[in-house]
Amino acid sequence: MLRRIVVCLLAIACVAGARGAWAQQSRPADERLGGCFDGYLDKAQTAQATAPQPGEPAAPAEIRIGHLHASSGPYASISMPVYLGLKLWVEQMNAGGGVMVKPFGRKLPLRLISYDDQSNPGTAATLTNQLITQDKIDLLIADSGSVLTAVSVPIAREHKMFLFDPTGTGAAFFSKDNPYIALLADPVSTVWPRFLWEFLKSDVAAAGLTRVAILYSTNDFTGTQAAAIRAALKAPGSPVQIVFDQGVPTSTSNYAVLIDNIAAAKPDVVLELGYVGNDIAFLRNLQESGTKFPMVFTLYPGIETSTLLKNAGQAGLSGVFSYVTALAYSYPPEVGMTLEQFRDSWEKSYAKSGVEFGWNAIAGYVTGLVLGQTLACTNSLAQLDVRKAVFSLSGKLKTLIGTFELNEQGAQIGELTPIGQIAPEGKDGIHFTVVYPPAMANGKPIFGTK
Amino acid sequence: MLAHAILSGLVFGCYFTLVGLGLNLIFGVMRIVNLAHGDVVMLGAFAAFWLFALIGLHPLISSVIVLAAFALLGLPVYYLVVPRLLAARDSEMLSIILFFGVQQIIEALATIAFGTSERSIPGRVLGRGPLHVLGQTLPVAWIVSAAVSLLAVALVYLYLYRSRVGTLTRAVMVSRDEALASGIDVHRVSALAFAIGVALAGLAGVFSPFMLGSATPAMGGDVNLAAFAVIVIGSLGDPRGTMLGGLIYGVALMLMQTYMSAWANLLPNLLLIAVLLVRPTGLLGRQVRRA
Repeated sequence: MLRRIVVCLLAIACVAGARGAWAQQSRPADERLGGCFDGYLDKAQTAQATAPQPGEPAAPAEIRIGHLHASSGPYASISMPVYLGLKLWVEQMNAGGGVMVKPFGRKLPLRLISYDDQSNPGTAATLTNQLITQDKIDLLIADSGSVLTAVSVPIAREHKMFLFDPTGTGAAFFSKDNPYIALLADPVSTVWPRFLWEFLKSDVAAAGLTRVAILYSTNDFTGTQAAAIRAALKAPGSPVQIVFDQGVPTSTSNYAVLIDNIAAAKPDVVLELGYVGNDIAFLRNLQESGTKFPMVFTLYPGIETSTLLKNAGQAGLSGVFSYVTALAYSYPPEVGMTLEQFRDSWEKSYAKSGVEFGWNAIAGYVTGLVLGQTLACTNSLAQLDVRKAVFSLSGKLKTLIGTFELNEQGAQIGELTPIGQIAPEGKDGIHFTVVYPPAMANGKPIFGTK
Repeated sequence: MLAHAILSGLVFGCYFTLVGLGLNLIFGVMRIVNLAHGDVVMLGAFAAFWLFALIGLHPLISSVIVLAAFALLGLPVYYLVVPRLLAARDSEMLSIILFFGVQQIIEALATIAFGTSERSIPGRVLGRGPLHVLGQTLPVAWIVSAAVSLLAVALVYLYLYRSRVGTLTRAVMVSRDEALASGIDVHRVSALAFAIGVALAGLAGVFSPFMLGSATPAMGGDVNLAAFAVIVIGSLGDPRGTMLGGLIYGVALMLMQTYMSAWANLLPNLLLIAVLLVRPTGLLGRQVRRA
């Protein structure tokens, strides 16, 4: 019996080992951007950065970047694109000889050490600790999404390790007494829905749609967005009334009864805030139930458009409102590739990976861009110097997702996504019409189509 | 709201009966715990998805193919794994460890093969528009899935109670040793039950994109938890109990979603704890022991 148990455990260990090996592939490559951020470092600084200074510490053989990703579990579909986008950037940098590291005055290769937390927050906590204490990484990047980022925040802070947070937007991560974090590629959840609530209180209310239902998944990401929207809609003088406000577990995969409950409240507007799987299930159930609402807003049609289109279909998405990300709204980058270039690179590298190209893939790449600019500008690899370098990019770094801008707590307040409405295009396609804010709008909203 | 929740719960419960049925049959006959059951459901979902995506096969036709293919797959798996497992002193415990490993392998291989993104089949494939039942509207895909589930339950019932091999299967359920002593080919009966159990899991998988929104390689864990809740409520080893457990689970889930939605994911755990505390043998437990 013992022999069998050992065989079973070995089988489990083999699987875990194979997953780890697959996950930790990291290859050396190059910095095409070169040197410090051209947009705001003057030439004297750049020259100083590229020349070794007397008394400088010896350069390490490589810059070790610690990262977590989830190749399985409920967050794999948002985590793997971030990981692969980041990996693509590392490979591109290493292919050009490495990334410029200002303290050492030359390019150094990057080594990406990325562990698989399997969407398990407990595992993510252990692995964060391992990256810091055992692997002795130089830079730490959290896993994607608020649920898995949440466990890394206190650990990084305890070890005084600066945490590069790609997409963990929970507002609780950012506080004045924690200098060891910055949000890179998504606006913080309290700010992200700003255009949405402004739209609801202006154009939507003006169209006579004032009864709002909020259905959200109870996690840091969507929970915070719901709280921000709720507070804005309940502010004095708001023309909008919240008639339904319920949270559901993130694991919810069936919304038929919830849709019926929402319909009973007779809302004009339904805001469904969830992760990819939640949005797919909600939109499919909505379509199959035959229930209609004048306006429906969900998060992921604009974030992981390809996945949503494949699962909810053209009919399921038509008329839906969502955030319009860089996938459908062009921001000319001053650093790094354009959207088209990045998409081409992605398709060449990961077309057969089974991981869809979407917003999170871009977020992973942007995380790499911020890392590269940080290394080009930091005075040392001491973590508070790294923080200083990251914050020095605020308001100046323009990538394919817009302007990188941090508040004093490290929360991203730039890169805001406009509100758009989906319309069918061709036989199976869709396109977004930006409807808010007016400065970015290229069309008018059409209510009552969902 | 209450009427819709109950009706939806009953329909949803029929589907979860199907999800738990294969697991219960395997446990009832072999007294082994198939922790990879949810991942077999996932494989069924991906089989149906690829058959639809590649050759446009209707899920109802896919269900027949999956049923047959998974049954054939179950037979060699049985002979490869289960006899050795049953020869062990503590086969129940050992089966948990073994099938945990199998579950990890299936999920890892599926992730590598299919990627991590969600996959689904359009609901309109099973019929357009909602159906009006007792004054409530329900998706056609739900009704079809529930109907297939009820058909599967009926067939399993006929197999167990109206066929000779079913009688032998029930004899093995009651006492494996006595069945062996009375000349029943226990391995043949068990292999058949194992194959049917795997096939039923595959069949449940075919309809999971319609009932659970989408399929991912990671869905097995949640499906397992629901399946265990269903069979523990009804009673381990009794298909009639699975039906009862499925309906209770479905209605309770929908009522939770209606009145305490934020706590709905606690339901399987709450039901498991409640049943184990109040009636550890399940609601139909006594009848099983005397079967």
